[in-house]
Amino acid sequence: MSEQMHPDFSRREFLSQSAKLAAGVSLASGVMLYGVAEAKPSAEAVTSKVRWGMLIDTNKCSSGCDACVKGCNEWNGLKDHGRPQTDAQWIRKVDLRNKGTGSVHSLPMMCQHCEKPPCADVCPTGASFKRADGIVLVDKHICIGCRYCIMACPYKARSFIHEDVTDQRPHAPRGKGTVEACTMCVTRVDEGQRPACVEACNTDGHKAIIFGDLNDPNSEIAQTVKTYATTAIRADLGLNPGVRYRGI
Amino acid sequence: MNRLTKLLHTAVLVLTMSAPALAAGGGRVPMPQLPEAKGDQCVEDTNVMRRKHMDYLMAHRDNTMHDGVRTTKYSLKQCLECHAAEQNDAAAGKHEGQHFCASCHQYAGVKIDCFGCHATKPEKTTSFHPIVTPGMEKAAAVHQPAGELLNQLAGASEQTGGAE
Repeated sequence: MSEQMHPDFSRREFLSQSAKLAAGVSLASGVMLYGVAEAKPSAEAVTSKVRWGMLIDTNKCSSGCDACVKGCNEWNGLKDHGRPQTDAQWIRKVDLRNKGTGSVHSLPMMCQHCEKPPCADVCPTGASFKRADGIVLVDKHICIGCRYCIMACPYKARSFIHEDVTDQRPHAPRGKGTVEACTMCVTRVDEGQRPACVEACNTDGHKAIIFGDLNDPNSEIAQTVKTYATTAIRADLGLNPGVRYRGI
Repeated sequence: MNRLTKLLHTAVLVLTMSAPALAAGGGRVPMPQLPEAKGDQCVEDTNVMRRKHMDYLMAHRDNTMHDGVRTTKYSLKQCLECHAAEQNDAAAGKHEGQHFCASCHQYAGVKIDCFGCHATKPEKTTSFHPIVTPGMEKAAAVHQPAGELLNQLAGASEQTGGAE
């Protein structure tokens, strides 16, 4: 942390700079202690200073493991009706095989929380929208269930609820006739916690998902994205997703 | 004669007095049986809440959904924390008369669709009073043992050193 400060730095700048530096502290070579994302005050609106993102390391993710899917289903109260064609699916595991090399990768696929979400572009009522901090959501109060967004999403990330829903989790309201998708566990994120899939991957899985603020240069995710080559799926579409992958 | 008039008068009086009771037993919609809420008072006065709760909820809904404002004062989740205590609702379901929201709306003939999506009961009951919920504690950055909070609510608090 012995960084040469410019002599013209004002006291305020110096303080804010040192606070930022303190966010990522090197304990030893190769071991970093990253600042834990703090919860915003609950009365404050979210801002675009933050951009929440995830980085999924497909080298760690294992093909038999579905801890993230289970974690998501449990936290959000998604129940399956034994009808895989229409059951809600916020996150799914996908196995990829390169025909040329034969290499196989497994990865979780969910709403990629695009910077320019096509779902929000096509939504006729404004129900699909992107929050200032980059999380793409469906306002089910406004959704009329037309499912245009489902067609527009290149990641097939959205589901439509066909059945009446009962016994919802209080933090995850969901009901018949609306479209839904991964919310990046927005209620957890607003409270300073990590999304359920990330939590599950870290405890029961292979620690393949990093969650954090892409705009904070000292966050673990920003550092990793800066250091290693990562991929956005369907980067050709120019949507700049908040979910990125490493190793594919 | 005099006695007969007296009897008739009594009969008329009895009939008049019992008319509302008969009517109530007959065609009238019975008054809703509201389950008792937790705490001493709601987030606003009762008469204000009766008239304006829907406006509060609507405004809060948009702030929460689009701006991520997570205050609990006017949140539907918080309504349920106090009004749909578990013993009242655990098995009752949203269409039963015992649910605080549902029973009154049924009586007033109001059709709301909150509970098509929202949970009808709190997952676990945590709060004693709207102002002492985990969310509010976090917002105010107050970290006190539960006992102290209870004392404060009971008006038995003393100025604690570190409290601001």
